[in-house]
Amino acid sequence: MSESKFETISSLVDNYRVDEQSSEQAIDDMLKDEHLSATWQQYHLIGDVIRDEIPQTLQLDLSAQIAEAIADEPSILAPKSVNNSSQQTFKAKVVQLIRPFGQLAIAASAAGLMIIGVQQNTADTNEVITPSQVVQTKPLAGFANPVSFNFQQNSQSQKQAVIEQRIEQQRRFQALLSDHQQQVKLSAAKSAQSKEAKQSLLEKDD
Amino acid sequence: MKILSPKLLTKLFSLHFLISACFSFSAIAADAEQARLSLERLSKSLRELNFNTSFVVVKNNQAEPYHWLHGVVDAPENKNVNDGESSKGERETVIKKVELEILALLNGPRRDILRIGNTVSYIEPEYAPYSIDSSQISGPIPAVFGRDISILDSNYHFVSVGKSRVLGRAAQLIRIVPQDEHRYGYWLWLDQDSGLMLKLAVITRKGKLLEQIQFTHLEISETLSDNLKNLYVTELPKVIELSAKNTSTDFAWQVNWLPSGFKEIKSDRHRINGSKQAVEFMLFNDGLIDISVYVNPSAEKKRAIEYANDGATLVLNQVVNNVEVSVVGKIPLASAKKIVNSVSFTHKPTTP
Repeated sequence: MSESKFETISSLVDNYRVDEQSSEQAIDDMLKDEHLSATWQQYHLIGDVIRDEIPQTLQLDLSAQIAEAIADEPSILAPKSVNNSSQQTFKAKVVQLIRPFGQLAIAASAAGLMIIGVQQNTADTNEVITPSQVVQTKPLAGFANPVSFNFQQNSQSQKQAVIEQRIEQQRRFQALLSDHQQQVKLSAAKSAQSKEAKQSLLEKDD
Repeated sequence: MKILSPKLLTKLFSLHFLISACFSFSAIAADAEQARLSLERLSKSLRELNFNTSFVVVKNNQAEPYHWLHGVVDAPENKNVNDGESSKGERETVIKKVELEILALLNGPRRDILRIGNTVSYIEPEYAPYSIDSSQISGPIPAVFGRDISILDSNYHFVSVGKSRVLGRAAQLIRIVPQDEHRYGYWLWLDQDSGLMLKLAVITRKGKLLEQIQFTHLEISETLSDNLKNLYVTELPKVIELSAKNTSTDFAWQVNWLPSGFKEIKSDRHRINGSKQAVEFMLFNDGLIDISVYVNPSAEKKRAIEYANDGATLVLNQVVNNVEVSVVGKIPLASAKKIVNSVSFTHKPTTP
């Protein structure tokens, strides 16, 4: 089977314009050739999956290979055999148990991610500054030695230490950020209070 | 169709030149005046209209959706009339306008801000619900836009730039331009019908967008929405007492440089909630933005300046002689660096 035939079929599936002669030829070939017609179906299915247009229950009158391939994709399709389904329900339970923790972890880390995310943006604008997640103007104190001069183990532990320092600094920044927001909230109260306190004092004086 | 005569055309052209000449003379003044009027209208609308709106804060490639409701209710109030002339303390029922407000973050753990008049309640995952005595909520939209904007006069210019279409409505773009390079500009797109905000962006001097708030829904009504009616009969958490004694805490350090117009709002010693770190703290404000300065002893001898951004908000710190100094605020990096380097010590604070 030549590659070009598959390509023509692919183009036909994708609605690309193929010159009439070769498309007619391809269709004729496809009708004759079982393998090619299976390919036609496969390409359509692939397209459907990519576009997320697969129907709820799939009519499995396709080639055996596709059916197999699909059976190996439990996340996309409904369970097929009894064996598979028992496995899947077990999996689903595990997922359900795990999910709440996962969500908490995501919630806890989301704030930290913010900083990392932006850092890359700002790094783009400041060419002078190294584009690390926490942008530094100078290397961290105590880790100025070039890594290549050390043993593998040593350099790895150093890297570890740098990473830990990074995480520590991220935490510090996150704590400062939320404290800043908290203080701004509370300051609104105080200024309002002091103004009103003055007013009420004035009223009492009268 | 009639073709315009050459005579008429020349007339039209001369008229056009005349008008454009007039405009160029008065344009700048008119723009500033127009901008001020729009901002005053925004402030009034934010306080007086019943609105139900949604917006999305876009920063760090993330979007935070919020739901924001505001309304005004007439509240009969028994008040001791006690003016200077008749100090007999008569009781009189006065109809008082009470503002109701709900601001809720829609993604992630619940973060709601509720307000009835001069009580603002915060419902957050970090703390037990609490209320403070305040007439402004502190959310993603600067509180000054609902208040007297003239306090921004000394540090910002207002410019009315042009019209565009935002949220399917005709919008007027107003720029709040800082008078120096030490802070960011704010661009506001205001609804021509209601005067309310449709979009807000924080922009650097070079025109780079740092953070924006895009409104996604706006509904203005005559009557109070059900949510606000429910809020009105809700009992808010207890108002916490904030000791107003430590107005000028005595520190062994001082901030020697801040962009002009920043005033000290408060200073105290407290523990940071996240890290339990004890800090000495000062808060400054120029009417629009807040800058926090933190000073605390550090285990490290020296650490060069490091920083991170959260949208327009910058967090920056450094350690010099076992003292960590941190600056947080919506200010450019250069300003924060200048502030952190301007902190001087009268004597060394307590070592850890």
